[in-house]
Amino acid sequence: MKALHQFVATFEPGATGAHMLELQRLARDVLGVESELFAEYRRGPHAERVRHHRDYKARPGDVLVYHMAIGSVVADFVADRDLPLVVDFHNITPAHFIEPWEPGAAYGCAWGRNQLRDLAARADLGVAHSGYSEEELRREGFPDTAVAPILLDLSTFDTEVDAEALARLHDGKKGADWLFVGRLSPNKCQHDLVKALAVYRRLYDPHARLHLVGGSSSDAYVAAVEGFAAELGLADAVTLAGSVTPGELAAHYRAADVFVCVSDHEGFCVPLVEAMWNRVPVIAYAAAAVPETLDDGGVLLPAKDAATVAAAVDRVLADRGPVVEAGTRRLADFSLERTRTRWVELLQQVPE
Amino acid sequence: MTIDHKRLLAEIEEEVRRKRESGDLPPHLERELDIVFARYAPVRALDGDFDQVLTRAEQATFIDVLAPTASSRPVIPHVKRVLRKSVVWIFRYVAQQASGFNEAIARAVRLLGTRVDALEEATGTRSIAPLVAGDGTATMPDAEHWLPVLVDALRDVQGRVLHVECGSGELVRALVNKGVDAYGVHAEGAPADAELDIRIDGVMEHLGKVPAGALAGIVLSGCVDRFPKAALLRLADQAVARLAPGGVLAVVGTDPVAWERDRSPVEVDLGAGRPLHAATWAHLLVERGLHAPAVHDGPRRRPADVPDGLGEWGARIDTLLFPPASFGVVASRPR
Repeated sequence: MKALHQFVATFEPGATGAHMLELQRLARDVLGVESELFAEYRRGPHAERVRHHRDYKARPGDVLVYHMAIGSVVADFVADRDLPLVVDFHNITPAHFIEPWEPGAAYGCAWGRNQLRDLAARADLGVAHSGYSEEELRREGFPDTAVAPILLDLSTFDTEVDAEALARLHDGKKGADWLFVGRLSPNKCQHDLVKALAVYRRLYDPHARLHLVGGSSSDAYVAAVEGFAAELGLADAVTLAGSVTPGELAAHYRAADVFVCVSDHEGFCVPLVEAMWNRVPVIAYAAAAVPETLDDGGVLLPAKDAATVAAAVDRVLADRGPVVEAGTRRLADFSLERTRTRWVELLQQVPE
Repeated sequence: MTIDHKRLLAEIEEEVRRKRESGDLPPHLERELDIVFARYAPVRALDGDFDQVLTRAEQATFIDVLAPTASSRPVIPHVKRVLRKSVVWIFRYVAQQASGFNEAIARAVRLLGTRVDALEEATGTRSIAPLVAGDGTATMPDAEHWLPVLVDALRDVQGRVLHVECGSGELVRALVNKGVDAYGVHAEGAPADAELDIRIDGVMEHLGKVPAGALAGIVLSGCVDRFPKAALLRLADQAVARLAPGGVLAVVGTDPVAWERDRSPVEVDLGAGRPLHAATWAHLLVERGLHAPAVHDGPRRRPADVPDGLGEWGARIDTLLFPPASFGVVASRPR
């Protein structure tokens, strides 16, 4: 291997973007090869480090890594190069979650699934970030697959807390503050969190609040969550913070009493790791890749009916210590040292 | 400090059960929350709820011709009002025709729904009543044999267990006594035990209210002996969808041969439904993603007036003539 070049549909800040930058560092510093990033669309502070995918000129000795999360012309572009190819599968949200709310966006998911099938015949290796995702790769026909955790530099979580945001969050606090971080999207089921909060306030803590942090992938879903909360009389108790700065995100973690995730589909769920790093106890519904990411670092619920979630929060808040400590222990598994070692092993297996 | 995950989940389940029993958590609260959210979900997300979809369609037939005139900029609201006033008569003319057309379509669909309901009633795919009414309690064949088997299969599950057509609740009681968070549903008329969480509800209606993946265990009995084939397939779909990863699904039914033997020819010939074989249930469950179905035979019931002691051949003839009257199929959903 003389070079390891990475491709993605859209390069932007977030878990996938950070993972690509780490993989680029690893290629250059550890493997000692050239490494460039290519995308069709580029956004955010690192956008200038990424070139348009059509600028790529194939050379013998190149290995291509394609980061798959949605349908894109970039997938066809890399498939057409006669070079070793690794598909790094970040998982694709099943279209049936999105279709009723955003039929247009669902197309991208279905397109991605079809491309994944095509890439299976072309790729030398399919890498997934969980056993759950690896199983999907196998089902789509990838002959060689492996699991490697997403490359996360945990030190980037160590951001200065936005004091003003923290003060705003503490303002009016009389009960427990629940937090969930992730795009407002039907597969992440923020509406189920609102249900659980309604039951929790009725049974345990009438002053509890829910903070939902993250941009939106469906305006219709955001409107539904807002309308639902308002009709239940929770307009003041449920906050949709939208996209926030790193300092504001740190403030949310600092102010939170518990992190609750009831998603039906997550390919990895980096916010679980962020919550553990911020010493916020995690309660999560055991769906998709969540059990693998959380493992024994928090409380995994086999069901997510509102009563069970509410009771779980009450139980955990009565004695946060063991759950926080469990999360801190689990963090060691995501240390960059360990995950980089795994990636080096995998990349060295790719045939030239 | 480590988390004793099993103990923690048991405490959470126990707490939920306490809240339900004390009445702090009314049985319909979670369903009511679902209904409220459904009002905000797009029609396409209202999976399978025909009435709700149609109601939303009927609400959408009205076309409001009075466009909003608010604006954050000065003068604009006035301009918008003038524009609205000048064109509203055109919009009203068009909207009246469009609304009339929409209402006619919605009405036609409503009538069609009523006729489909009637058809389902007639063919037995919806309202499935046994031709010969039972006493409402004998919902599980060879119950004394199956209770310990089912308790054993379900005692370690993490979460709620539902017994569909639980009758007077013997299995629910046995599970609760073993510390399982169990409840049951049964059709109207079943004896209710105030100490147990037994809901009066239809099988399909109840499963339709339970969120996907919410149950750690489901036991199907009673209805599996009399639902028509189409309803049984729907029942299998619904039950598997409600099962959490790692959850256990058990079916206890009457063996078809025994079922025919024990019924009048009229009921056998004219009954809307009849039980499936154990192997068929195992096939249906595997087809729906469950794994490792274990098929158990129930006890053999040899009529008292048939002489015993005919040796090896007699035993073989017994096997052919008097197969086990019931079966149990237990399968689990992969984690």
